[in-house]
Amino acid sequence: MELIKYQDEGQFSSGHVACGGCVEALALRVILNTVGKDAIGVVSPSCSAVICGGYPMSAVKIPVFHTTLESGAASASGIKRALLAQGKPDTTVICLAGDGGTYDIGLQALSSAAERNEDILYICFDNEGYMNTGGQKSSSTPKNAVTGSTPAGKTTRKKNLIEILAAHRIPYIATVSPSHLNDLAAKVEKAKSIRGTKVIIVLVPCLPGWGLPDNAAVRTARKAVESGVFPLFEVFDGVDYRLSVGTRSQSVETYLKEQKRYRHLSADQIAGLQAETDAEWDRLQARAVGGQV
Amino acid sequence: MNLLQSSLWTTQSSQSRLTGTWRSAMPDYRNLPSPCLGACPVSGRIAEWIRHVGKQDYRAAWETLVDNNPFPAIAGRICHHPCESACNRQFHDETVSICSLERFVGDSALAEGWRFDAPAAERGQSVAIVGGGPAGLSAAYQLRRRGLRVVLFESRGQLGGLLRYGIPDYRLDKAILDGEVQRILDLGVEVHLNSEILDAAALEKLRRDHDAVYLATGATSSKVLPGLDYAQPWVIDSAEFLAAANSGAPSQTGPRVVVVGGGSAAMDVARTARRLGKEVTVLALEPEHLLPAQRVEVDEALEEGITFVTGAMMKSLDAGAGGLTLSCIRVDFKPGDKRGEFSLAPMAGTEFELAADAVVPSIGQNADTSRWSGLIDSAGPLVATDGSWQTSAAGIFSGGDVASMDRFVTQAVGMGKEAAAGIARFIGAEADGAAGAKGPEVPFSEINTHYYPPVARNIAATAGVAERLEGFGEVQQGLSRAAALAEASRCFSCGTCIYCDNCYFYCPDMAITKLEHGYEVKTDYCKGCGLCVEECPTGSVMMYEDTRG
Repeated sequence: MELIKYQDEGQFSSGHVACGGCVEALALRVILNTVGKDAIGVVSPSCSAVICGGYPMSAVKIPVFHTTLESGAASASGIKRALLAQGKPDTTVICLAGDGGTYDIGLQALSSAAERNEDILYICFDNEGYMNTGGQKSSSTPKNAVTGSTPAGKTTRKKNLIEILAAHRIPYIATVSPSHLNDLAAKVEKAKSIRGTKVIIVLVPCLPGWGLPDNAAVRTARKAVESGVFPLFEVFDGVDYRLSVGTRSQSVETYLKEQKRYRHLSADQIAGLQAETDAEWDRLQARAVGGQV
Repeated sequence: MNLLQSSLWTTQSSQSRLTGTWRSAMPDYRNLPSPCLGACPVSGRIAEWIRHVGKQDYRAAWETLVDNNPFPAIAGRICHHPCESACNRQFHDETVSICSLERFVGDSALAEGWRFDAPAAERGQSVAIVGGGPAGLSAAYQLRRRGLRVVLFESRGQLGGLLRYGIPDYRLDKAILDGEVQRILDLGVEVHLNSEILDAAALEKLRRDHDAVYLATGATSSKVLPGLDYAQPWVIDSAEFLAAANSGAPSQTGPRVVVVGGGSAAMDVARTARRLGKEVTVLALEPEHLLPAQRVEVDEALEEGITFVTGAMMKSLDAGAGGLTLSCIRVDFKPGDKRGEFSLAPMAGTEFELAADAVVPSIGQNADTSRWSGLIDSAGPLVATDGSWQTSAAGIFSGGDVASMDRFVTQAVGMGKEAAAGIARFIGAEADGAAGAKGPEVPFSEINTHYYPPVARNIAATAGVAERLEGFGEVQQGLSRAAALAEASRCFSCGTCIYCDNCYFYCPDMAITKLEHGYEVKTDYCKGCGLCVEECPTGSVMMYEDTRG
């Protein structure tokens, strides 16, 4: 059995207000402790803004700037440039945003920062919807998933943000899962050592938003990885794809089964999602040929 | 909580918010017993010693094993291993080869010459043990470990009882027995061989001379098969047959042997006779799948060319010039509620005959309790005992086959261990301990199988049939070190924490504290989500309703 290796240095504190069993908090714990003390946070309106804490409470030990929903990457760019002007190039600027603030409302700012290759570490906590405001769909919501604004299931597929980011040819993009904590810590560590724009997308199964019991988020994330619905991989310089988990061991149905947002699915719809996952997996495999480490 | 203790710029730490108030359930490190522990006749801490094997600390594994059983090399060969039938891993892929692992540790100890530590302090009291079989030796060991003086009386010329005179060499090499017995004797046991305690008066004298007595004389008289004339030279008692064969005496019987019975002893007789070159038939009342012998014994007997006639009984026997003719009939066998109980209905029209030169009835052994009448009460065919194995005579304890119908060797070892605890309490050498309450065991559903990818079981090699029939060499071989390590890593360690820190790392609320030996839940912050329980590979931590006080 592989033991978890990262050191908890106390950079994330108890008493935060994430739902019991929320793996966004779990991922934050690993990320903040791996990023370390020499860092400044930028957070756009999202669950992480609430988890990090509204004034006068804070659950994080680094200074955090709460910015607007559309301007996470822009604020982070500004702070980074101010640090450079002060002669502090080694301080990590880490932007924490949700999928709403990344796929939708913050995309313009992120694209611009990526185009300028700003030296920021951008973390997207992807819970596939506007879960903090009661569970509306975002462009990250996958096909067929029920949200407050797609009561019969979303009719279009999840936006492929990685391909958008890859098109910017930024140095580092990675996907991580709260079920694979060593992989998560290793990727944050790696991103920290790279200059330029780094984006890490964290899959966050949302307990109320996806309709899951309190203890289910880690196993759901694990199934997402093992079914290939959310493959773990890295993209270097927008072209070099490397798979972190190179095999699939579960069906997509196994992943869908426990989530209430997919409860209404017909056998045909499940087969459709399986076929879509298979095609994406094959595409990813083809891209990662020879590049797997 | 000091709100100003943090070194933050302008804000306060979220630690002043006690999210523990949200909770309705709490994780608790109860370390419930594993199913193997519950099934183990000596209550061995199996998950614990297998973990030591996995860390290649064989000495620690052995020390954990011998806490409850001084015979791991023996048990690793002949235990009926109910632990493996209870093992949670069977619901995932295959059960863990616990018995073979035990043999590996036991053999390592013999090879390395590991010895038991002398008792921490010697006590004045003395205990007499009557019978040097598995129960008596187990009690002797456990009493010596407590520093009590032990005087052991054995009626035969050597110690071991059934282990020496009943179990053939091909299942248990006597060098192994000698090694594990000697280790007990080295603790300082006064042994009197060829010393039979004949009657109640002799036993009463022992009781007067010692602070307590342990009676473990076994079940030494064979049950008699009705309608069989035991005076005839072609009827051979199974215990005598095995004792003679085990001491190397030449066989006196003709070439065709019929063994009557379907238990372990019958298999021992049949397979011994086969090794002596006989043509062997086993005649048993039970259908094959209900034979009381261990399945592996039946399978190996079949491989060795023994014929099984099951679900049938002998009606009569004729001795003619050309040998014996057994008139038999098929029976409808129905097992009863209790072990050993059954009902039979012969099926008309299914008569058949078997030819033989000798018949060895092997249908079980009875204890001789009449010897002690007037001193010790009987319960049916057994010596009557209470919950601590004390007989009706104060200070006389009993166990093993003379006091129980649980007749597997390791069950006797377990009884010896329990009686030693009872004796120690009786003579005031030990305070009343809380008897190990058998709570619920860790169910398979509590194991996170993600952490245990399916892996094939490592099975010990078996000697080839031709090689087996050439003599009395051991059939079952030991596991290699590599196989033992691989097998140890298959153990789920149900309910026994492996200190993997998963509970600590998977908590989104930093509500688990690592202690030197284990973990503690911070009740101020635990929201009761259960992720620690979910990601615990072993089921050591479980959720319980939080009743707050």
